[in-house]
Amino acid sequence: MHIQNLTLTNYRNYDSLQIGFDDKINVIIGENAQGKTNIMESIYVLAFTKSHRTARDKELIQWDKEYAKIEGSIQKRKQKFPLEIQLTSKGKKAKLNHLEQRRLSDYVGALNVVMFAPEDLNLVKGSPQIRRRFIDMEIGQIQPVYIYHLGQYQKILKQRNHLLKQLQRNHSKDRVMLKVLTEQLIEHAVILVERRFGFLQLLRKWAGPIHQGISRGMEQLEIIYHPSTDVSEGQNREKLLNIYYEQFEQMEDKEIERGSTLLGPHRDDLTFFVNGKDVQTYGSQGQQRTTALSLKLAEIELINNEVGEYPVLLLDDVLSELDDFRQSHLLNTIQGKVQTFVSTTSVEGINHETIKQAELFRVSHGEIGC
Amino acid sequence: MYYPEPISKLIDSFTKLPGIGPKTAVRLAFFVLNMKEDDVLDFAKSLVSAKRELTHCSVCGHITDVDPCSICQDESRDSSIICVVQDPKDVIAMEKMKEFSGRYHVLHGAISPMDGIGPEDINVPGLLSRLKDEAVEELILATNPNIEGEATAMYISRLVKPSGIKTTRIAHGLPMGGDLEYADEVTLSKAMEGRREL
Repeated sequence: MHIQNLTLTNYRNYDSLQIGFDDKINVIIGENAQGKTNIMESIYVLAFTKSHRTARDKELIQWDKEYAKIEGSIQKRKQKFPLEIQLTSKGKKAKLNHLEQRRLSDYVGALNVVMFAPEDLNLVKGSPQIRRRFIDMEIGQIQPVYIYHLGQYQKILKQRNHLLKQLQRNHSKDRVMLKVLTEQLIEHAVILVERRFGFLQLLRKWAGPIHQGISRGMEQLEIIYHPSTDVSEGQNREKLLNIYYEQFEQMEDKEIERGSTLLGPHRDDLTFFVNGKDVQTYGSQGQQRTTALSLKLAEIELINNEVGEYPVLLLDDVLSELDDFRQSHLLNTIQGKVQTFVSTTSVEGINHETIKQAELFRVSHGEIGC
Repeated sequence: MYYPEPISKLIDSFTKLPGIGPKTAVRLAFFVLNMKEDDVLDFAKSLVSAKRELTHCSVCGHITDVDPCSICQDESRDSSIICVVQDPKDVIAMEKMKEFSGRYHVLHGAISPMDGIGPEDINVPGLLSRLKDEAVEELILATNPNIEGEATAMYISRLVKPSGIKTTRIAHGLPMGGDLEYADEVTLSKAMEGRREL
């Protein structure tokens, strides 16, 4: 799939911008603080309705303006359709083919995007929350119903935490209600965990060989899921349910004492091992970067395999940070098949065919010249 | 400032209604000025009497002008089945169906710890004492199919189970007269779960 053109209105530093894109490689060149990342971000928002940089949609609206709008026309297989995101201080609207979609799960997935940005190094060395967000977003864009279950899970979790706080402070003594919320929580927890296991299996399948390729056969990547409970991959739903019920039962007093839910997918984590060593703790900066890159490249293949088409790839300021070998490995992988957006301060020193054939856009003070 | 006091008070009153913003409130207020005086008086009377004369039925909690309400007083209805709903509007929806001849119990809400609403804050204690006093055989839990409604139904069923009264939950699934292709995945998966043998 690819984006044919993009229109931004009152978005960050762009008053009004309209650009048509090449269906292969687009390079956005500009000095610092000119608005390169803003273009990348807007494409990301068009796909996920949320920014990767901030949780506050208000920041996306230009200072002293009432609203911001992102429009893009997408070519997917033989279909062509418009996507639109409207942001106001009161909320946002997402339109697919001119029709407003009220459920997130009806919108996300229409445009598949994989982004690789400097922050992605945190995927390996950052907090567990970043890794959970990574799996949740990626499963969400290939299986939108996952977003629904995640949303339900988070609502129940909020209710349950409130009740646990009330029990902790003795405002309530209602253990029956706690059991009810536990049952509801487990129902969705099992679905989330099952889908995460399935996704990891696919991710491993693709990431393993890719990592070997990037590291010239020197490194073996393993991805391990660390659940907060004793569940493990390969267990059927009944077994998973039993484990959750048993462990929640055992934890009940401790949870009341702490006033918070201590088990479940919202406390699970991932660990990456290279040649048997935990990359987060023992890996070099370079190994961490390679691991993040392998994951992102694996995602591209995974989406192609699940959705039947390659996603759009956003490379925000990362190309220049990779060494020559990794750079050409990355560019060879995407060559000709993935529509890619590259933002960089300069293309000098990148001697790859792919970049030479690219469409160049020069950004300066929120305006674009070719 | 721009309006004389009586009309600005009227506008203010209209904005207290749900779904009415400042512009609509102004439009409605000016419309009232042009209405016949008798109609306005009737309107005012109905507003006051709706508030003053209606109470909640002491048995089931439904809105009523006589206590107990007409449904609770109706001897021809089956008192061994109670249908539990969240809202008086749900009773009216059920009654329109004309299929259910049991009695009702209105909770006036659903349990939601987040909003500080516990079982005692909705009409659950009233239901439990009814189950003790009346000869009830079946309890139909017809709370809304969302997280809070579902939790409330599960909660009540846990409390009632030991007494041996049959508790049932209304089915979830596809709306009648609709097309399968337009149903969302979640509704469809609920419909698959609740399938039955023909």
